[in-house]
Amino acid sequence: MSEPDPRRLRDLGEKLDEIRRQEEQRKVQPPPTSAEVAFRFATELFAATIVGGAMGWGLDWLFGTRPILTVVMFLFGAAAGIRNVVRTSRELNARIAAAAAKDKKES
Amino acid sequence: MAASPMEQFTIKPIIPLHLGGYDVSFTNQSLWMCIVVGGLSLFMAIAVWNRRLVPSRLQSMAEMSYEFVAGMLNMTSGEDGLKFFPFIFTIFLFILGSNFFGLIPGAYTATAQLCVTLALTMLVIFTVIVTGFIRHGLGFFKLFVIKAPLFIAVPMALLEFISFCARPMSLSMRLFANMLAGHTMLAVMAGFVVALAGAGGVLSALSIAPMLLIIGLAALEFLVAFLQAYVFAILSCIYLSEAIHLHDNH
Repeated sequence: MSEPDPRRLRDLGEKLDEIRRQEEQRKVQPPPTSAEVAFRFATELFAATIVGGAMGWGLDWLFGTRPILTVVMFLFGAAAGIRNVVRTSRELNARIAAAAAKDKKES
Repeated sequence: MAASPMEQFTIKPIIPLHLGGYDVSFTNQSLWMCIVVGGLSLFMAIAVWNRRLVPSRLQSMAEMSYEFVAGMLNMTSGEDGLKFFPFIFTIFLFILGSNFFGLIPGAYTATAQLCVTLALTMLVIFTVIVTGFIRHGLGFFKLFVIKAPLFIAVPMALLEFISFCARPMSLSMRLFANMLAGHTMLAVMAGFVVALAGAGGVLSALSIAPMLLIIGLAALEFLVAFLQAYVFAILSCIYLSEAIHLHDNH
């Protein structure tokens, strides 16, 4: 392959940059699918509850106070799970709104 | 009697090895992880072998995956996050690779094992913790503090701490459960085909129905394979971005 002409290369590069800039403005994250939403919510809630309960179990074992801390931490874990779900839904809503705004602008 | 749909997930040693009382055999799990890594490395090496200005199909596939991850990282964590590009790119490709390789009939799905996905998430979380402490020192603990009166802030700190600890769990569970469920469903449907076809008469003709369902499910699995790799990578990016910027973004 022969050495390409530097001027033509630069022109091509500028053209590509221009297209990429236009492309950049249109690009948003894809809206979440229903399956993604379901799995996100389920795992967030489940994981926080389990981890909270497990922490309580561990602390109980450490201090010999079974079952008080397990119960308390389980409840805290459930609360953290619900907080996670709220946060996740906020994030997903933002993505849906962004995708909807993009659709509106294009049509 | 058809084989159990869970049988595909059993780990079988190929080269038995025991070191100091631990079973470190080379198993079908290890074999398929090696195949995934080898396959991806080979793909990348071939794709960029003859670098050209106007890329060939393979080269543009490699470039597209590169730009996809770079864009994702840039969008979630800004310029600072691009330092972690090699890390996120490797994790994304490994998960995508094992999900797709797992879809080959007869193949073993490495990501359908909780220990694999948990190890991956541990890697992510330790990177987050180490980055956080390097960037902010003890200020990293601000991640758990919210602006509120003390009697709310203290229990909230506990909640934040639990939800931080729950991240590796939810991240790994999601990937593992998705892959496990998908492959089990395919195996169950395949079991129906065999059972119906073997029943004879009208029932044999009916076996076409689950067969059609398998085709649809397989298509869905391709989507899930990509989607889960994407979700895993983007959540890793978000967690990393939190460690880099602390509370700036919310």
